[in-house]
Amino acid sequence: MIRKLTFAICLVGAMSGGAVAEDKLYTVVDGFKVDANTMKGFRAWRAAACDRCHGPNQEGMVGPSLIQSLKVLTKAEFVQVVMEGRLEKGMVSFKENPQVVQNIDGLYAYLKGRSDGAITRAKVQEISSE
Amino acid sequence: MKLKQISLAVLLSGAVAVPAFVQANAEVEGLIADPGNWAMQAGDMYNQRYSKLRQVNDGNVNKLQVAWTFSTGVLRGHEGSPLVIGDTMYIHTPFPNKVFAMDLNAQKIKWKYEPKQDPAVIPQMCCDTVYRGVAYGDGKIFLQQADSMLVALDAQTGKVVWSVKNGDPKMGAVNTNAPHIFKDKVITGISGGEWGVRGFVAAYDIKTGKLVWKGMSQGPDSEMLIDPDKTTTWKDGKVQPVGRNSSLSTWKGDDWKLGGGTTWGWYSYDKELNLMYYGTGNPGTWNPSQRPGDNKWSMTVFARDVDTGMTKWVYQMTPFDEWDYDGINEMILADINVKGKMTKALVHFDRNGFGYTLDRTNGALLVAEKFDPAVNWATHVDMKSGRPQVVSKYSTAQNGPDVNTKGICPAALGSKDQQPAAFSPITGLFYVPTNHVCMDYEPFKVDYVAGQPYVGATLAMYPAPASHGGMGNFIAWDAGTGKIAWSNPEKFSVWSGALATAGNLVFYGTLEGYLKAVRKSDGKELWKFRTPSGIIGNVFTYAHRGRQFVGVYSGIGGWAGIGMAAGLEKDSDGLGAVGGYRELAKYTDLGGSLTVFALPDN
Repeated sequence: MIRKLTFAICLVGAMSGGAVAEDKLYTVVDGFKVDANTMKGFRAWRAAACDRCHGPNQEGMVGPSLIQSLKVLTKAEFVQVVMEGRLEKGMVSFKENPQVVQNIDGLYAYLKGRSDGAITRAKVQEISSE
Repeated sequence: MKLKQISLAVLLSGAVAVPAFVQANAEVEGLIADPGNWAMQAGDMYNQRYSKLRQVNDGNVNKLQVAWTFSTGVLRGHEGSPLVIGDTMYIHTPFPNKVFAMDLNAQKIKWKYEPKQDPAVIPQMCCDTVYRGVAYGDGKIFLQQADSMLVALDAQTGKVVWSVKNGDPKMGAVNTNAPHIFKDKVITGISGGEWGVRGFVAAYDIKTGKLVWKGMSQGPDSEMLIDPDKTTTWKDGKVQPVGRNSSLSTWKGDDWKLGGGTTWGWYSYDKELNLMYYGTGNPGTWNPSQRPGDNKWSMTVFARDVDTGMTKWVYQMTPFDEWDYDGINEMILADINVKGKMTKALVHFDRNGFGYTLDRTNGALLVAEKFDPAVNWATHVDMKSGRPQVVSKYSTAQNGPDVNTKGICPAALGSKDQQPAAFSPITGLFYVPTNHVCMDYEPFKVDYVAGQPYVGATLAMYPAPASHGGMGNFIAWDAGTGKIAWSNPEKFSVWSGALATAGNLVFYGTLEGYLKAVRKSDGKELWKFRTPSGIIGNVFTYAHRGRQFVGVYSGIGGWAGIGMAAGLEKDSDGLGAVGGYRELAKYTDLGGSLTVFALPDN
């Protein structure tokens, strides 16, 4: 938790700092080739079936658009919502899902990349796997 | 007839069960026989959704107007319909599954019941927190809560008589279906096909709530209540015993334990044959490569003996599903002319886009034809084997994981979902609300985690290409020949249950919120009215103090309304369910109300 918090603080600080720090959160080439950590996040996104509610392109269906939500939520808030859910609104608690828990940083990176517009399509591949 | 039943009851269950058996049967049958009631969700045990009432008819329906309205206080998808028993209407809601008993004389709420449920079940419910309605029998209202609790309420007071836990919601086993009362049993199923739940149908004693039998959808013969020598299926052009391990031999290893085959549709019952009929859903993960084999008996019509649960026959519509074509849609029982011969038929409009007519006495396959010309995933159903002939291009298994298979019709929503069709014994035609939606489907490997989603495919849905541009049709179907009699294009999926009446009318609702009345013979629209929200509920009718009323729930939601139920944003490519259904926002917003119509009272 301490590590996560620190990371989040770094991020919040970094975001106001501009593009340099964001590049450290994720690396993307040609809009869809991403670093290994972000790729793990994409796999967690699929495995947890997030698209059933948030849409195949993260633009919202039953659940809200994550393109929009990730512009508003801090990383700490994001982690909180994913882990605990928002049960009354229909958001699942994923804290029992090992793939989500272990790859929460990658998941955040992937979705932040989508929200930032840096990752230009939902389906990504790993840079090294070309 | 009654004598035969009584002696049979004595033979089967001994003296104790007799009063319940006879009373429950005779009571519900008597209520159904009076068209002034709407005593079951489908109006009868055959799932026909037909009413003999004719005060409202094709000559005066243009004068139909609102008689009264009622807000349920819940802003989610409203499926199913109220029941009407005498002077009382029983109104249900989506989660939190409230029930209101409305005194139709005083227009006053007699009692209201609201269960306490763990909100953790909300995210586990597929496709919105819908609930398809209550059942009545033996002086009780039966509520099947989302958290799987089956509760019997005293119909006069709303007090709990008994309750029983039907599944484990922590493992994703929740409920959306209405319970059904056949004989002295309350029959219910389970949801959770996307959570690795193993499906079943269970029968509880109407007096006590004690479990009488439970038949699984897959696994060992004994757990499915299948007799390898006596339970039959359609093979090589004839009805034959299924043989030993008919399910286990069609799964890899222990995959059947996560085998889906959930049972959230509308069941029917034939008293003469003492058989109940229902369908099972998708087999576990949506990634077919992970579960090679036919995955029996997912995607299957089951005919079971109501007293023992033993399986009389099975027929699998979609062996080895690769598209999420759940087989749960209603089984409609009707005695109709099939290819020149009067037949005790079972008619079923499957998600896979084929309209099936079977001999309901033995499960023989008689007709299987596409009820939407857009259907392309299979060329036809081979009548000898009963198997659809899959087109390789649209096979998500042949194309494999991590490949996006494009242009599959229908979409996972099916050419029709749970929204039930109606049958008119006068015209002999079926009136079917349909979807006209196609999809791209990309399966991928997924690991099972208990109590977590277990899906394994991502998909995009859009209106059927090269057609009228809309996402639905309302059709009339001749199940004897497998042909469309007439078809009305609709802008959106028709997600409302139809009602046919002796007044030469068929009613259905639309996602924009219109309740429509069309002429049975040719589908001509005679009347429509804009209700407060999109309609995914089922139209029902009843009579009170000499007037015929027609009613329907409004309240957009469910899978059809996925773009509406919350926070919709624009999608970049303008396609997909979001793109298609986004247009709905120009017509309607969330709601939760009942609108009841009648002719002017003069």
